Amino acid sequence: MAETAVSTRPDNARRRTRTVRTGTSPAARLLERSWLIAVVFILWWVLSARSTNFFVPSLQEILAVLARDLSSGVIPDGAAYSLTNLAAGLLLAVAVGIVLGLILGEANRLRQVVDPVIHFFRSVPQAALVPLIIGAFGMGQGPKIYTIAFACMWPVLLNTIDGVLGVEPTVRRFAKVYRIPPGLYFRRVVLPAALPQIVAGVRVALPIGITVMVVSELFAATRGLGFYILNSSATFQVPETWAGALFVGVIGYILSVAFVLCERRILRWYIKSGAK
Amino acid sequence: MSLQTAHSPARRATEQLMQVRGLTMSYGSGAAENKILQDLDLDVRAGEFVSIVGPSGVGKTTLLRCLSGLLAPKAGTISVGGQQITGPHPDLAVVFQDYSRSLLPWMSTRENVAFPLQGKGMGKAERNALADRNLAAVGLAGQGDKYPWEMSGGMQQRVAIARALAYNAKVLLMDEPFASVDAQTRFDLEDLVIDLHTNLGVTVILVTHDIDEALYLADKVVVIAEKPATVVDVIETNFGEVRDQVETKADPRFAEARARILHRLRDH
Repeated sequence: MAETAVSTRPDNARRRTRTVRTGTSPAARLLERSWLIAVVFILWWVLSARSTNFFVPSLQEILAVLARDLSSGVIPDGAAYSLTNLAAGLLLAVAVGIVLGLILGEANRLRQVVDPVIHFFRSVPQAALVPLIIGAFGMGQGPKIYTIAFACMWPVLLNTIDGVLGVEPTVRRFAKVYRIPPGLYFRRVVLPAALPQIVAGVRVALPIGITVMVVSELFAATRGLGFYILNSSATFQVPETWAGALFVGVIGYILSVAFVLCERRILRWYIKSGAK
Repeated sequence: MSLQTAHSPARRATEQLMQVRGLTMSYGSGAAENKILQDLDLDVRAGEFVSIVGPSGVGKTTLLRCLSGLLAPKAGTISVGGQQITGPHPDLAVVFQDYSRSLLPWMSTRENVAFPLQGKGMGKAERNALADRNLAAVGLAGQGDKYPWEMSGGMQQRVAIARALAYNAKVLLMDEPFASVDAQTRFDLEDLVIDLHTNLGVTVILVTHDIDEALYLADKVVVIAEKPATVVDVIETNFGEVRDQVETKADPRFAEARARILHRLRDH
């Protein structure tokens, strides 16, 4: 079952923090990390400045529209709606993924039975299911949250299973000999041992969630960032479409940075012991 | 040092504590059956220090896993205090060879020692106090907030020993506990275990492939050999309570016992 792992390994996190710690001042590090983004935006600005293509407006125009809709409250309102769905969906996915993963990781027989089903559902393109789920469960906020949760659960579930299977046999023997009760064993032994893998799974789930968040609002929605993008696109308000996409991208970036900061706190022992 | 008054030295080496009869263990079945242990007997008195010595691959770890209740034997009985064991038992604590894997890196050393006590339902204040006392007993006073990975291998194994002591089992089972530390640390840990045994009166069964270590530590050395493994000799050492890395090992009786074990192992 080890081969079911999502290929993101938690050692990425370790390596990253290690390189960060080597020498150089914070300002120099910030510059080193952000110069490419600056170059991309300057190039975009310059190259799009005299664009006559209707579908590729100038960056100046896009940013003007973005500023307008940010201050008018259209985008903040959509963002509040969408991000609520994302947060709820992700939380649900993480909770269900971890609990199921811990159980399936420990129960070998059950895992062998369920394994093909997991791989079937994992392989189904999640975005393609959105119209079906919304068709079946209705237009409200609930179905959107479930769709996000459904798509985000797989990497969490598979990585949790993999993490549980990677628990040291000596640790298992220790828990048996010292007769650690099951509840305590899951909470204080298996869960922390699998946590680096679980966190890596959540990191994979995050961009999936953002994509599905947008896609879920392309159908039967009246609010949200996805709705903003679709609505503007359908009415040929091209700068709005670009502005919406840009905004989602920025949110995705901010969330992934926030995630790395959380990861460093949660996996402090792991990063430190590995970096030794 | 009064950690476990239950094992007072006065009761030492009198009553029978652990008894193994006809222990047989094999992996697989039918034609593919691989017999590891055959008809093995073992007697351990309360407060006794027993070394089990045998060549690498003879089945020492399998034997210890049977004794600790991790493996169910194919035949034979194991009893502690007259009670037959069928699985892990509160009277048995194990110190594993691989300290770096048996300690939990997400817990401080205090939490590591206290954790099995939490499993027993002991309150937080009580188990932390007990953890600190046992850490002090193994020479790690004030180190409870450190994490295992901040410590040397020898210190980590001390934490593992403290964890076993705090569990307050009647018998301490040690599986080649000093096999992966350097020579000087090994001597220090051997002397630590002798001190703990002498001062706390705890019963120890230690498995090793090192004949000198087996003799130096034990009141009784059980030699296992052959395939499947069985007991080929039992030697009661009589070097006295106080042991010294230089003098005990230079004792003519030590050399004599050593030669006897070597002969036994060569004959099999």
